[in-house]
Amino acid sequence: MALKTEHMVLNMGPQHPSTHGVLRLELELEGELIKKVVPHIGYLHRCFEKHAEAMQYNQIIPYTDRMDYLASMYNNFGYVIAVEKLLGIEVPERVQYIRVIMGELQRIASHLVALGTYGLDIGAFTPFLYLFRDREKILTLFEMTCGARLLYNYMWVGGLSHDIHPDFQRMTKEFVNYFKPTIVELDNLLSYNKIFIERTANIGILPIDTAINYGVTGPMLRGSGIKFDLRKDDPYSIYDRFDFDIPVGKGIYGTVGDCWDRYYVRVREMEQSLRIIEQAIDNIPEGDVQSAIPKRIKPPKGTVYTRVENPRGELGYFIISDGNTNPFRVKVRAPSFVNLEVMGELCKGHLVADVIAILGSVDIVLGEVDR
Amino acid sequence: MKQYFKDTWDGIWTVLIGMKITFKHLFTPAVTIQYPDVKVKLPDRVRNRLYVNIDDCIGCDQCSRACPVSCIEIETVKGVPGEDLGTTSNGKKKALWVTKFNIDFAKCCYCQLCVFPCPTECIYMTDIYEFSEYDRNNFVYNFSALTKEEINQKKTNFEKFQAEKEAQKAAAAAKPKTDTPPAAPN
Ligand code: SF4
Ligand code: SF4
Repeated sequence: MALKTEHMVLNMGPQHPSTHGVLRLELELEGELIKKVVPHIGYLHRCFEKHAEAMQYNQIIPYTDRMDYLASMYNNFGYVIAVEKLLGIEVPERVQYIRVIMGELQRIASHLVALGTYGLDIGAFTPFLYLFRDREKILTLFEMTCGARLLYNYMWVGGLSHDIHPDFQRMTKEFVNYFKPTIVELDNLLSYNKIFIERTANIGILPIDTAINYGVTGPMLRGSGIKFDLRKDDPYSIYDRFDFDIPVGKGIYGTVGDCWDRYYVRVREMEQSLRIIEQAIDNIPEGDVQSAIPKRIKPPKGTVYTRVENPRGELGYFIISDGNTNPFRVKVRAPSFVNLEVMGELCKGHLVADVIAILGSVDIVLGEVDR
Repeated sequence: MKQYFKDTWDGIWTVLIGMKITFKHLFTPAVTIQYPDVKVKLPDRVRNRLYVNIDDCIGCDQCSRACPVSCIEIETVKGVPGEDLGTTSNGKKKALWVTKFNIDFAKCCYCQLCVFPCPTECIYMTDIYEFSEYDRNNFVYNFSALTKEEINQKKTNFEKFQAEKEAQKAAAAAKPKTDTPPAAPN
C-alpha cells in the first residue's frame, strides 16, 4: 500500500525577515517542492486612495511619499506631473533638470537597498553594509536639499519646495566619481560570486509571454529581455534629452529572465542613472524653482493618467477631477503590486529556499503594494 | 567530474576575490559613528520638531489649514477695541489673542507644509529630534503664552464687548420697530 501523503500548507510571513515587510506567502508544499504560492497582502494598507479624496492636491504629496518609501522622490515626481498635466502648467527648465537629477539619485538609492537586501537574503552580509554606506551619501544629498532623509515632500505641483543647496552640484559630482568604482567592486564582490550565481541563475525564470500577460514592468520585465523603459518609450519631463542605454537581461549565467538577470539589470541601471546625472548636473539653467507654483490648485473637470518609470516599474497616477480643490478620485498603479502577482508562476516547482531568492529579485515595497 | 572541480575552484576563487575587497576595507576608516556620544552635524534645512514663536503669531489659522493631518489646533479670541495686542516683528498688527496653539507631534508627519503659508514666518522647523516620550499625551505641545486666567479674562472681555454691541444693535433696531412689526411666528 502506497503511503498516503498530503500537501502541506506553510505560511511565510507576515513576520519574516526576508519578506521585506509585512507580506504573507501561503506556500503549498509537496515535500520541499513548491506547488502553489498565494501572496496575502493588506497588512500595511493605509487607504491612500481614499485619503486622497479628502485632501487638497498639494496635501496629497506627503502621502505619496509613504507609498514606495524607498523611492519617495519618484512618487512625488509621478504625482506632480499628473496634476501639472491636469492644470496645464508649464514647468521651468531648472525645475525639470533638478527633478531628473533627484529622480535618478533616488533610483540609485532604491536599487542599492534592493541589491543590498537581496544579497542579505541569499546570505551575503558584506555587500549590504557597503551599499547602505553608499546610499547614505545620497540621503545626505537629499537631506541637505529639502531637510528630510526618507519622506521628502520635495517636488511640488509646478515647482520644488526648495532650491538646491549651493554645494549640491559639487557634492553630486563627487558622489558620481566616488560611486563608479563602487559598482565594479559590487560586481566583484557579489554579482560574479560563484555561490551567489548558483543561488540565483536558472531560478525563477520569467518568460517573456508570462511577463507581458501579468503586466510586469520595470527591471523585472527588462530582466526577461524586453527593452521597455518609459523614460525612452514614453518620455516624460525632459528624459528625451539625455543619452542612456536600457540594460536588459541576457542570461549570461543561466536562462534569460532568471533571478540573476533581474539582479544584474538593476546593477547596470545604476550606471545609466549616473550617466544621466552627469549629463544633467552641469546644465542646470538658472531660474526660480517656485515661479510656476499655482496659488490655488483647482483643476478643471477632467481625467488624467500619467506614468513614470519608478525604480520598480511603471508607476501610474489616474486622477479624476470634478473641478474642486480636492480630487474626486486618485488611483495608483503600483508597480510592486503588479509585479508581486507573478510570484505564483515564478515559484512553481522550485524549492522552499528558492522562494526567498525569487521574492528578493521581485523587489517589492510593501508600502506600495498595500498603499 | 571535470565540471565539479571547475565549479569548486570557481567558488573558492570568487570568494577569494570578495575577500580581497573586504580585506582592503579593513583598513579604511569606519563610516559609522557612536550615536548618543557622537552626533552628526545636521544640515540647516533639516526638518524636525516645529517651533512657534508665539509673539509673532497673528492667529490667522493658515498653518492649521495647510496641515494634511490636522495636527495643529488653534483657537483665538478677538481683541476688544482699545486693547493693545502689539505688532509682529515684520510689522503686522495683531488683532487676535491666540488662546490655544497646540501641535500634536505624535500626528505630525514633518512635511513642512505648515511652514510656507505663514505670513509672519513664526512657525518653523528646528533641529531637535530627540524628544521621545513615555506617554503619547506629552506630544501635544502648547505654544500659547497665555495663562488660564488670562484666557478667561480675554474671553469675558470679548463677551462683554459682544454683549454691549448686541445691546446697542438691539436698541438701534428697537427704534424703527414700531411701524413694521415682525411677522408673528405661527
Ligand atoms: S509639518 Fe506637516 S504634519 Fe506637521 S504640523 Fe506642519 S503641516 Fe502638519
Ligand atoms: S500661519 Fe503663522 S501667524 Fe498664522 S496662525 Fe499659523 S503660526 Fe500663527
